[in-house]
Amino acid sequence: MYSAQITRANPTCIILLIDQSGSMGDSFSGDSVRKKAEFVAEVVNHTLHDLVIRCTKTEEVRNYYYVSVVGYGRNVSTCFSGPLAAREMVPISDVADYPLQVKSSYKRVSDGAGSWVEIPVRFPVWIHPTADGKTPMCEALIRVKDILQRWLSEHPRGFPPTILHLTDGESSDGDPDEIGRQIMSLGTDDGNVLLFNCHISTRRLAKIEYPTAETSLPDGFARSLYAISSPLPTNFLAAAAQLGVRAVEGSRGFVFNGDPSSIVQFYEIGTSLTGMTPYKWMDHSETS
Amino acid sequence: MSTAKQSATWDLQLRQLLLPKLDHDASECEDAIAFDIQTARFAVTDGATEAFHAQQWARNLAEHWVRNEATLTLEEFRTWVATEGRELHDSWNGLTMSWYSEEKARTGSFAAFVGVEIDLPSWKAIALGDTCLLHCRGSALLKSFPLSRSESFNSTPILVASNAALHESTMSSAMVESGVCENGDVLLLMSDAAASWCLQRFENGDFDPDFLATKEGVKDDEELRRFFDGERQAGRIRNDDLAIVRIEIKRRIN
Repeated sequence: MYSAQITRANPTCIILLIDQSGSMGDSFSGDSVRKKAEFVAEVVNHTLHDLVIRCTKTEEVRNYYYVSVVGYGRNVSTCFSGPLAAREMVPISDVADYPLQVKSSYKRVSDGAGSWVEIPVRFPVWIHPTADGKTPMCEALIRVKDILQRWLSEHPRGFPPTILHLTDGESSDGDPDEIGRQIMSLGTDDGNVLLFNCHISTRRLAKIEYPTAETSLPDGFARSLYAISSPLPTNFLAAAAQLGVRAVEGSRGFVFNGDPSSIVQFYEIGTSLTGMTPYKWMDHSETS
Repeated sequence: MSTAKQSATWDLQLRQLLLPKLDHDASECEDAIAFDIQTARFAVTDGATEAFHAQQWARNLAEHWVRNEATLTLEEFRTWVATEGRELHDSWNGLTMSWYSEEKARTGSFAAFVGVEIDLPSWKAIALGDTCLLHCRGSALLKSFPLSRSESFNSTPILVASNAALHESTMSSAMVESGVCENGDVLLLMSDAAASWCLQRFENGDFDPDFLATKEGVKDDEELRRFFDGERQAGRIRNDDLAIVRIEIKRRIN
């Protein structure tokens, strides 16, 4: 299971589900400048960028992945705008070709001989920060299930879809347990849909990353998210190990009280799929 | 075939096979094979699918290396790769690229490399990555280089990088090896999927010494293609490009 080769003939899909409720407009604890919504939008843009680069074959972007970005807050809607507006599932080649804007900057990289050099880099932007309204998590998961069912009816074989869900609070429209379990029961011939949840906290609380049992969790809310988090398949564990994240056989794709670094790692592990790529080797760099 | 370097007492019998992934066109194959009779050099390279112009980089490395006279020490190899990388990146100057191609070009290209120079009865090889040289005697495996076990192959090998910024960290993984041949010995140069499969056959004790031989009764090219397609469809070989060079060492009968 979770071993199907991801090809253009047999692509997989990734759904990024983002809490865009009003509280996402708050800052992280100890960081009065950076708001959660801004940081999450930045990480999502980087994630989309990395997925595009991973599929880039010289001048062509190959459709190994189809991507959906769904936000929930004032309402539940797809987060793409511009030419991609209202599209639920977008082939990665279209993601590549239709960012809202492409920013230019410089990045410091090692020259391999002990010094640093500055090289020009470009940062495409697809998603802008949004923080407004309540936390209609159940409605959002129902929307995700609809998207998945449409995808799976056309792609019953191949690597199962992955849902990366990020939230900073409890659901305002009921218990997400049932709809979460329904999503996790869907799948392809290569395994069930992977639903991973990352809860981030404004307060400085002990974070819990990729637990193997709910007994370590502090409250009912944490346990309810744990219950609808899939175990990490082996190849995701390898990616976690490469990032220095402790995850073992039986670890769930679940983070509670995560901080900014948890978010970055959550997206990196959640999109690792077939493992790290040569592109990642360039990550020994700094952005100026 | 005869090479300029071999003595009058030796002969080399060569067979090669280059196959793209299943359901892929031959033009998409990112493995490369090259040899040069004058230098008695043979090389197999495997361009990293996700890299920028991987096919071009793999071909450049193989074709240019076999035509070279030096590059059999780590230092020479390092200098030579740096020059090749610079030339590759220079060839992209002035191209109008999308943001993603630009990003990809900045990272450069990657390929696994194994090259051998035969000066009978000796051979000397250099490798970086997971393309391999296997020295076989009958059904015995004398040496497998740089990887020696089928389980050693993974999806993140250190590869020959075209980007100068990555040279130092990758080149430290390059290795040289040498050996001495006897009559009937076989040298196999293989890209990763084929090498992993072949090593597994040795580990299971079912390696056929006539595998890819040119003698009568063994598979012709079309049969071989069907055989490897079947192995890949059955999952016994990963669905990857396949490059195999078989060099059989023969003592001439005067």
